[in-house]
Amino acid sequence: MAVRLIAKDDQYVLNHCTKYLARENPEPRHVYGPDAGIEVARIAEAWRFPIIDGHRDPDEQAASQAFNEVTFVYLAAPGALPTEVAVIGSFANLYEPLAMRQVGDTPYFTLTAVVPRGEAHSYRFLVGGEALLDPINPQRMTLDNGRVWSRFFTQDCTIPLVLEHWERRLLERLCDHILPFRTPTAENFLARFYDYLDRQARDAQYPNAYRFDASVGVVNYIDKLLAREESHHQADYRICLDLINQVVRQRNPFLDPARMARDLYVTLYEEMGRNDVPGWDYGRYGTPRYFLQLLRRHTFTGAFAHPKYGGNAGTAAWAWLAERYRDGDGETLFDWGRALEPPYGRNPAYRG
Amino acid sequence: MDKFDVVIIGSGAGGAPIAHTLALAGKSVLVLEKGPLLRTQDQDPRGLSDFKRDELYGTGPEKRLTVPGMANQGESYYGSHVEPDINDEPHVYVGRDGRDRATIEGYTAQVIGGGTQLYGAVSLRFAPMDFRLQSFNAGRTDLVDDPTGDVQREARDWPIDYDALEPYYGQAERLIGINGTATNQAKPFSAEHYQTPLNPNAISRFVEVGMDALGMPRYRTPLAVITADHSPSGRRIPAGDEPAKTGYVNRYGDPLGLKSNTWVALLAPLAGRPNLEFRCNCVVTHLSQSNGRVTGVRYRDPAGRPVTVEGDLVVVACSAIESVRLLMLSAEESQDFAGRIYKSGLLGKYFLTHCFGGAESAMPGRYDKSVSLDSDWATDFCAGEDFIRANGLWAGGAMYNNTSDQALPISLARTHGSQDLDTIWKAFVEDTGLTGQALVEFFDRDFGTRLSVSFMANQLPLPSNRIELHPAVRDKWNRKAAYIIKDWHSHDIHLMNTLAAQCAAVLRFGGDEGRGNYPVEGFGGIYLAENARARIANHVLGGARFGSNPNDSVLDPDCRAWEFDNLYVTDGACMPTSGSANPTLTIQANAFRVADRLLERL
Repeated sequence: MAVRLIAKDDQYVLNHCTKYLARENPEPRHVYGPDAGIEVARIAEAWRFPIIDGHRDPDEQAASQAFNEVTFVYLAAPGALPTEVAVIGSFANLYEPLAMRQVGDTPYFTLTAVVPRGEAHSYRFLVGGEALLDPINPQRMTLDNGRVWSRFFTQDCTIPLVLEHWERRLLERLCDHILPFRTPTAENFLARFYDYLDRQARDAQYPNAYRFDASVGVVNYIDKLLAREESHHQADYRICLDLINQVVRQRNPFLDPARMARDLYVTLYEEMGRNDVPGWDYGRYGTPRYFLQLLRRHTFTGAFAHPKYGGNAGTAAWAWLAERYRDGDGETLFDWGRALEPPYGRNPAYRG
Repeated sequence: MDKFDVVIIGSGAGGAPIAHTLALAGKSVLVLEKGPLLRTQDQDPRGLSDFKRDELYGTGPEKRLTVPGMANQGESYYGSHVEPDINDEPHVYVGRDGRDRATIEGYTAQVIGGGTQLYGAVSLRFAPMDFRLQSFNAGRTDLVDDPTGDVQREARDWPIDYDALEPYYGQAERLIGINGTATNQAKPFSAEHYQTPLNPNAISRFVEVGMDALGMPRYRTPLAVITADHSPSGRRIPAGDEPAKTGYVNRYGDPLGLKSNTWVALLAPLAGRPNLEFRCNCVVTHLSQSNGRVTGVRYRDPAGRPVTVEGDLVVVACSAIESVRLLMLSAEESQDFAGRIYKSGLLGKYFLTHCFGGAESAMPGRYDKSVSLDSDWATDFCAGEDFIRANGLWAGGAMYNNTSDQALPISLARTHGSQDLDTIWKAFVEDTGLTGQALVEFFDRDFGTRLSVSFMANQLPLPSNRIELHPAVRDKWNRKAAYIIKDWHSHDIHLMNTLAAQCAAVLRFGGDEGRGNYPVEGFGGIYLAENARARIANHVLGGARFGSNPNDSVLDPDCRAWEFDNLYVTDGACMPTSGSANPTLTIQANAFRVADRLLERL
């Protein structure tokens, strides 16, 4: 099936470009991952590209909620306006080149495609016959043939992008400890809540929910955050999860770290909080406490943010607050669904 | 070169009223806005807004400060999607240790509608006294903590009085779309244009009880959020139970356009007229002049290319720090411009914010604070002459409660122990004991229970509080960054302590049915904050004050730069004193007043 394309007006594209791309000062002031390169350091919030936005077809309102609009932007070098720019990628039919249009007389070229939520794709720009990596977006992926392409992913994505399987399992243990959901009442709540979301409701409302577990999808949220907005923290996670893995294996050589007792993680967590972890390789990472702080912010945000970011699976964290806090008549004292768009909430006017 | 009757730089509170008035009168108007033109659901072809009810829009992901030479290099910072990136466009301030730091304080939102997109929407008038603080304080001997007579030396009357502004307050209230009540306000109203307020949040009852017990006449806080169909702007209330109440008001743009920012209230209703043009994503780099006439407004287009336009009149209204900076940058380009704009020597001086602070506590019971606007009750008890004299103050302030603070889970955590963008998340991440059961207890204690009462009061104007151009730090256009040098006067501290105690009293009496023994967890003025010198509350005022004496002001009583024929500054920069309330409504009212003067000229 051919990909659906949308004509966005110039204003929309420029609204998402000028703040980040237009500049004169060449200083590389922006921090991304170690491999991002100096050109990207001259772009503010390079992770915003391509632009991933909501989609709504007024004629097919409900069905269109399963899609995002992905707007690609290519910024031509000053004085070297190419005659044709196109994008090719796995989101379109057999990598068919899709011509990008010039935005007015600006050096910006653009194209907007409708892509299902929950997906990750590779793409390149075709400029002057060459297939280029996106010079703005620092995300990369290696295809099966070993070639490196640019990557984007849409909202509600649950495909692991950054963290390895063992890293995710280890991370889950730490997130569990930070979040309130390992307390007896919360565990009881989550069991009931996930059970209550019967299969039909799950498929209809939360088709992409990562996992209905005690960390409410936070590990998936962190994976996506490291892939995009906070890719500069990838190294912290890589190194620290490796060190944590070493430390816990020293302490219990007989068990897989993901299966070790909770107490072991509680002790480790407290040691990291004191910045004093026996067995920690301080030469590789000097401040385990810093990593713990980072993890605290990411974990809390992931649990309680909008589910489109990949955590708060099935709105479980909001629902937990809504159930825990009720008045004498049993009415909730956190009626979050009142303000939010369907299918998450029930506001009749707001569309998300 | 494009030529217009008027070129207006900035689409917020200081610029939009002028664009509205002049466009309605048929004049050709160009609005240059640095930020994007973000749309409401109704304005978007898809029916989806660029603003979301999404906590991650309030403060985005972490970024790392890299501005060369800053003491806070390497620290994390956060901002909303319509606030500037500090690495690209830093404001630099001098901390207590004398070292320079970059900050996001003192920026209003950069988007069509300016600061009125993200503001808390509190839309109070200033009190009549606020306009004549020099006269009021003349000869007084009872001022506390003013050992060198700074109040009497530095206080200024405005060149206009309350009565001159009163009709324009009414015009602003009517056209912007504000709900509230006038009874019990210490400000005369010739007519009331407020829409009916929504029911207060249940937690606000403690404020009601506290204010009544203390004899503080209270009124419903005027908020720029429409509660009924608003015919001047054509906005309609959608179906639903009090749909404006969401918890996503303060710091969020409104996808439904119910929050009355200048875009939905004043500009969008006139969009499509051939004589009104908006150029968004365009940053003005400097003005050029010839013989006291601004002849060119130079800006960068959305792709960064330089463009020049011309206006018979040029209005600068891009929020005080940036307006002052633009004038200073223009002066760097031309000696003649410099000679004119610096003639009084006061450009950049007398930079002001507010004395602000308040009290906060967890109250008995629990409430759904997410069903809320931002504030329910206000009082002018501390704005009256009796209170001011009795406490040895030079001026007063307004008090009101906040209901939407910490109403949502992420805002509760990220503002745990901090109230500003420079220190957001800090306490939560450092409080590593807050996990599991302890985190449950944190929610039990603080979620839906916390109530704050704030004050907003006059800050003493001082020439040493000032805006300069930083000698070394450049923005992304290689322009010198704004350098903010300010501190609190000993009398400001006395004033903040006095008003914070009143805020605390409201909670102390409110929390136990008027007996006055309810424990208050914290209260104080902003001077106590670690980064107190940076704190501005996004109320950026002064730096180009208006007045009747050309040697004592930068602008004339019509906000025209003294040595210029056609250059006006109509944002908060013109204020000689900061007023006893949030400044937006007064900026709007004054801009409507200036618009009438401009019409007489065109």
